[in-house]
Amino acid sequence: MFPFKDAEIGAFTFFASALPHDVCGSNGLPLTPNSIKILGRFQFLKTMTHPRLCQYVDISRGKHERLVVVAEHYEKNLEALLREQKPISGLKILQIAYEVLQGLEYMNKHGMVHRALAPHNICMDQKGHIKLAKFGLYHMTAHGLDVDFPIGYPSYLAPEVIAQGIGKPSDHTQSEKPVPSGPKSDVWSLGIILFELCVGRKLFQSLDISERLKLILTLGYVDDIMTVLAEEHGCLSIIKDLPENTLALLTQCLTYQPSKRPTAAELLCASLFSEVSPWYSPFHKPRSLFSPSLRCADLTLPEDINLLCKDEDTDYLAERSIDEVYYLWCLAGGDLEKELTNKEIIRSKPPVCTLPNFLFEDGESFGQRRDRSSLFDDTTVTLSLCQLRNRLKDVPGEAFYPLLEDDQSNLPHSGSANELSAAATLPLIIRERDTEYQLNRIILFDRLLKAYPYKKNQIWKEARVDVPPLVRGLAWAALLGVEGAIQDKYDAIDKDTPIPTDRQIEVDIPRCHQYDELLSSPEGHAKFRRVLKAWVVSHPDLVYWQGLDSLCAPFLYLNFNNEALAYACMSAFIPKYLYNFFLKDNSHVIQEYLTVFSQMIAFHDPELSNHLNEIGFIPDLYAIPWFLTMFTHVFPLHKIFHLWDTLLLGNSSFPFCIGVAILQQLRDRLLANGFNECILLFSDLPEIDIERCVHESINLFCWTPKSATYRQHAQPPKHTTESNGGSRATSHISSDYQDTSKTDLAREPIRLSDLKSEVSPRISAEDLIDLCELTGSGHYKTPTKKTKPSKPKLLVVDIRNSEDFNRGHIPGSINIPFASAFTAEGDLVQGTTTATLQSFKGRVIVIVGHVHHIAEFAAHLVKVGYPRVCILDGGINKMKPTGLLTVPSPQI
Amino acid sequence: MKPKKEKICSKEREFVYKFHAGSQCFELAVPLLFPVQEKNPDHLHGRLMLLHNLPCFIEDDLKRALKQFIEEETIKDYDLEAESALEVVKCTEGSSEKLAQAWTKAYIKTTLEYARPEESSWDEDFADVYHDLIHSPASETLLNLEHNYFVSISELISERDVELKKLRERQAAEMNKVMQELGKTLTDQDVNLVAAQHFESQQVLENKWTSELKQVTTIQKQEYQEWVIKLHQDLKNPNNLTLSDEIIVQPSQLQEPVDARGRMYEEQQQLEESFTIHLGAQLKTMHNLRLLRADMLDFCKHQRNQRSGIKLHRLQTALSLYSSSLCGLVLLVDNRINSYSGIKRDFATVCQECADFHFPQLQEQLEVVQQVVLYARAQRSRKWKLQQESASRNDEEEEKSKNSDRNQSNILPGEFYITRHSNLSEIHVVFHLCVDDSVRSGNMTARDPAIMGLRNILKVCCTHDITTITLPLLLVHVMSEEMTIPWCLKRAELMFKCVKGFMMEMASWDGGVSRTVQFLLPQSISEEMFYQLSNMLPQIFRVSSTLTLTSKR
Repeated sequence: MFPFKDAEIGAFTFFASALPHDVCGSNGLPLTPNSIKILGRFQFLKTMTHPRLCQYVDISRGKHERLVVVAEHYEKNLEALLREQKPISGLKILQIAYEVLQGLEYMNKHGMVHRALAPHNICMDQKGHIKLAKFGLYHMTAHGLDVDFPIGYPSYLAPEVIAQGIGKPSDHTQSEKPVPSGPKSDVWSLGIILFELCVGRKLFQSLDISERLKLILTLGYVDDIMTVLAEEHGCLSIIKDLPENTLALLTQCLTYQPSKRPTAAELLCASLFSEVSPWYSPFHKPRSLFSPSLRCADLTLPEDINLLCKDEDTDYLAERSIDEVYYLWCLAGGDLEKELTNKEIIRSKPPVCTLPNFLFEDGESFGQRRDRSSLFDDTTVTLSLCQLRNRLKDVPGEAFYPLLEDDQSNLPHSGSANELSAAATLPLIIRERDTEYQLNRIILFDRLLKAYPYKKNQIWKEARVDVPPLVRGLAWAALLGVEGAIQDKYDAIDKDTPIPTDRQIEVDIPRCHQYDELLSSPEGHAKFRRVLKAWVVSHPDLVYWQGLDSLCAPFLYLNFNNEALAYACMSAFIPKYLYNFFLKDNSHVIQEYLTVFSQMIAFHDPELSNHLNEIGFIPDLYAIPWFLTMFTHVFPLHKIFHLWDTLLLGNSSFPFCIGVAILQQLRDRLLANGFNECILLFSDLPEIDIERCVHESINLFCWTPKSATYRQHAQPPKHTTESNGGSRATSHISSDYQDTSKTDLAREPIRLSDLKSEVSPRISAEDLIDLCELTGSGHYKTPTKKTKPSKPKLLVVDIRNSEDFNRGHIPGSINIPFASAFTAEGDLVQGTTTATLQSFKGRVIVIVGHVHHIAEFAAHLVKVGYPRVCILDGGINKMKPTGLLTVPSPQI
Repeated sequence: MKPKKEKICSKEREFVYKFHAGSQCFELAVPLLFPVQEKNPDHLHGRLMLLHNLPCFIEDDLKRALKQFIEEETIKDYDLEAESALEVVKCTEGSSEKLAQAWTKAYIKTTLEYARPEESSWDEDFADVYHDLIHSPASETLLNLEHNYFVSISELISERDVELKKLRERQAAEMNKVMQELGKTLTDQDVNLVAAQHFESQQVLENKWTSELKQVTTIQKQEYQEWVIKLHQDLKNPNNLTLSDEIIVQPSQLQEPVDARGRMYEEQQQLEESFTIHLGAQLKTMHNLRLLRADMLDFCKHQRNQRSGIKLHRLQTALSLYSSSLCGLVLLVDNRINSYSGIKRDFATVCQECADFHFPQLQEQLEVVQQVVLYARAQRSRKWKLQQESASRNDEEEEKSKNSDRNQSNILPGEFYITRHSNLSEIHVVFHLCVDDSVRSGNMTARDPAIMGLRNILKVCCTHDITTITLPLLLVHVMSEEMTIPWCLKRAELMFKCVKGFMMEMASWDGGVSRTVQFLLPQSISEEMFYQLSNMLPQIFRVSSTLTLTSKR
């Protein structure tokens, strides 16, 4: 998108036509409201970026099918020029015509027709260049099908448009699609407008609508349309005096037969523009972030680099793109409906005055007066940016151009930077509503993303603070490491040929996050279908499982106009977090996953785990949709975003912690209830406080030893590419356990039945050594311990008999022989060592000993409510070869 | 014209592409369906490459050729279609006239620019004025005035009641005398005559009072409206601020009988329980539910004995009258649109207790409804006929003839009419839902007309911003013998489930506005029954968890 410059933001509103009462679609589901259909189609318009078109920014749905469209806007337009009543001619006309045609040609190339071309929809910017407005109305309303009003203005309608009729189906049951107008109808409208500009007055003003339309239709019977029109309006002499190429242009535009009328593209190449065409260079769309070609290929720096920063007091906000400005405008308290109400564009009657008198059983209502406020008023209201500029007046220029290199620490901090760091400690919800904070974050991310993948590390670092909602789609793609020619890859996948999965996809899509306007629109469904099919087709070893649709939803929502990116993100996400979950037979993967999950519950919350096991409420009953969809099936989109902002920073074992955190929020209710109530509770999950959930899961994650969540069916480590990236500053949160450990002290795969029999997780000897800081050189009392406060303190409990213990044990471990540890009731036998154990309750407890008893011992500890109990994988034998076991010196 | 269009719509054209590989020349021919879907060109070439195993070096060229081919052919289609339309206009006489008229009609009906200027309607202007005033400091004065009018009407009504009572007593005494003489001096005929006379004089007296009441309310309404307009004008003019303290509340002189009635209500104390629920699978919306045991009309009556409460109620109702949070009530009525019997009569009495300063009187509103119903039936039968002509189906005809048998002005179960009120204590809108005797039966289903009517009521609530709706939970106003405990439980379960379903549906209509739904139980229901039902509600609706204020572990 281009910089905002001197543009303004305009808004206009209209009503989508109401649906007939209680009519169902062919799939038996209720019809999609027209406003949602329009909203879905509108999204494409946001990608229509061209210097001759007013950029579309946003659409919002109000009450009762009202839509408000936000777009770039200019106060100056051709209507004003006409009002001066001075004929314009010569180069100026040609220039206007050429620029309008440029815009039309770009639209036609994207399969769009303007249809509503009129002087007041042809705006001019400060420099006098043309900007076409409302060019998307015909597209977003499905050629006028979804609105009650006709699109276009009587004087400017092309004859074939009039002849084809309004095509408005009077009865929705026999819905006959209106015949769409072709791109050449715009050329006619342009001809009329140019004619008006040439003669300096509006045409057909003295006639009423039907006479106007009839006159236009009769123009087909005359030989020389120009002369007839000129005579009709008494300006034959002006027309006669026009320069030849202007006259030629008008004649070509006002050709009655559409087949003989040229298209915009043909006109642009015509020789009559030879004077003006050299002024313009062809437009190239700026390259997107993920493209195979060089993004900097067209970059040219001026000879003197100082020229770039010549103007001192520029308006920094004007250098940002319009969607950013609009986003900030909303944050700064902008309210579309209020602005429109203030300008009296929205004039709604009190609802009590518009009630119907009588309703049939089938819902048809009578006695309702037609509400005049629903009439179409195409006035565009300029949104005042005063409030926003006022809000941002203290933001220094540096904030708009932050330095990205790492050595910022020695720079003096300005006052606003302090303020920002103070803002960073506020709750996320408040930060997301803070104008200045978001401005800074958006600019920072925008610049970082422009430098992606070079600045990948810094994106990770900043994402740990938060991800600004406006750039979330790209930021996630960066976090997932999406790279390369994604569009070409996506295009190469066959998404049309029917496959057996189609039926299931077709059933699932209309049930997936349909409260959301975007995802419930037909456009959204089509995109859903394509992305899902692309994934299924391109992953032949995996299959579609119900839940994949939910998983796709957040990516599609964020990258609605970039299916390829949504597909690429999804393809990157699944192997990272859901490796092999979508196998045809995924039971072993899921079973292992759920077992590890129940071990994690026991590890973090023994009381809850005991209760759930007692009532038989196992994770298989509720947690499969959680993990299979990474919680997208459980939460609404806005919560998923906050959850995933953190999830994407974590490794594949982070979801376990989220699961435990959710259970902890429901803890009281779960503990108080039996099996049936628990099932009911989870069938309709109560509201979860997502920010608390995120905090809690990070906390849980820090307490979990890395190897505790080892799964043999997890994604195998990538040996090839990542290994050279030593500079990648990944913390232990983001790197996977499997990625890092390869030694023989690592965990070894065990049979699922064995895993299931153990209540507590195993940890690897390597982890134990690491956690106790038993590295060969340093002692565990070295000061380095202080530098890592996040590492959990732990207690090693040796359960071998005391002889074995004395022969050699892990330093710092205590000895509680298994045989004498528990009473018959299962309680711990009191003693000095058990007292130590008691005093360590709440810290990580590692059970060490001979292989056969440790699991049992751990289970006993969990039973009596000890949290964070884990066992050493392979028992003490694993530790023997390390030479780290010590024999205690005799006590003196 | 139609067959021609179909031909164009599903046209298949052959896309031919030639390319060289080394010395060999290949030709690719693919049938393409026109008009091409917007998104297709991008996806299409990838598919072609894959399907025909084409070499990658032609990819870009193929893409370009394909795009060009589609563009050209699409333009051709457009031209063809446009010209055929123009041809039709040229050939058919009067078609240009028809087209022009259709366009003109569309413009006039739907666009502000060409629409006929609006005749400013008086009640909408009044609505604006009133809404301004009630949200200004003048609201106090306004309410005082309304109250004074109310008091004077109440006095009139009690005067009427006293007079009627006297008349009835006198007549009763007379009748007694006559009855004693029956068989002696007087015959049955004489008794009948006397009875007829009595009835007639009662009617005369009632009519007299009715007309007097009507006159007074009309005068009051006119005075009131004039006064409101004047006050509004005065307030705009900052110079005179004297008007506002002109009106002081007149104390009502009707304490005694009212108190008696109030005590009577207190005996049957109102039972009430509130719930907060969350609806929706992923995105949840919060709603309030209330279960109460009370009389339907309690929401309409002004409690005269509660001096402080009345004003608050009035203020609340007045403030929201022209706002977008209205209160509605569902009243179950029979199939005739009048106010002669049963709950309809009681409701009409309540309506009369206080003049409506904003909307027409109930009687006038009902007359309008009657006309609308006749008009609606006429529309319907015309549509029926049209459909019959196009597809002459016998079974439908039968149904139609069945329809025409009954009185056109009566309404059917499931249909309802709406009246608007500004003079009721907590209600702005009343839905008069027609039900028949089937509501008493034990095996009502979710497809019952009454339930469907309820659904339509909730839909109207959506489209007209009625955010609080009160409805009879058991779909009856008074209990009778056949309504046993199992009957009540079954009915309540059905209603709870249906209303839950409708509320979830509503969320998709209006995007999830928080609402209040009040379920009303008849006064005569036992306390035990009430608690049984209040236990049932949270099982059907998901009641949100209580906020626990204990600190985290």
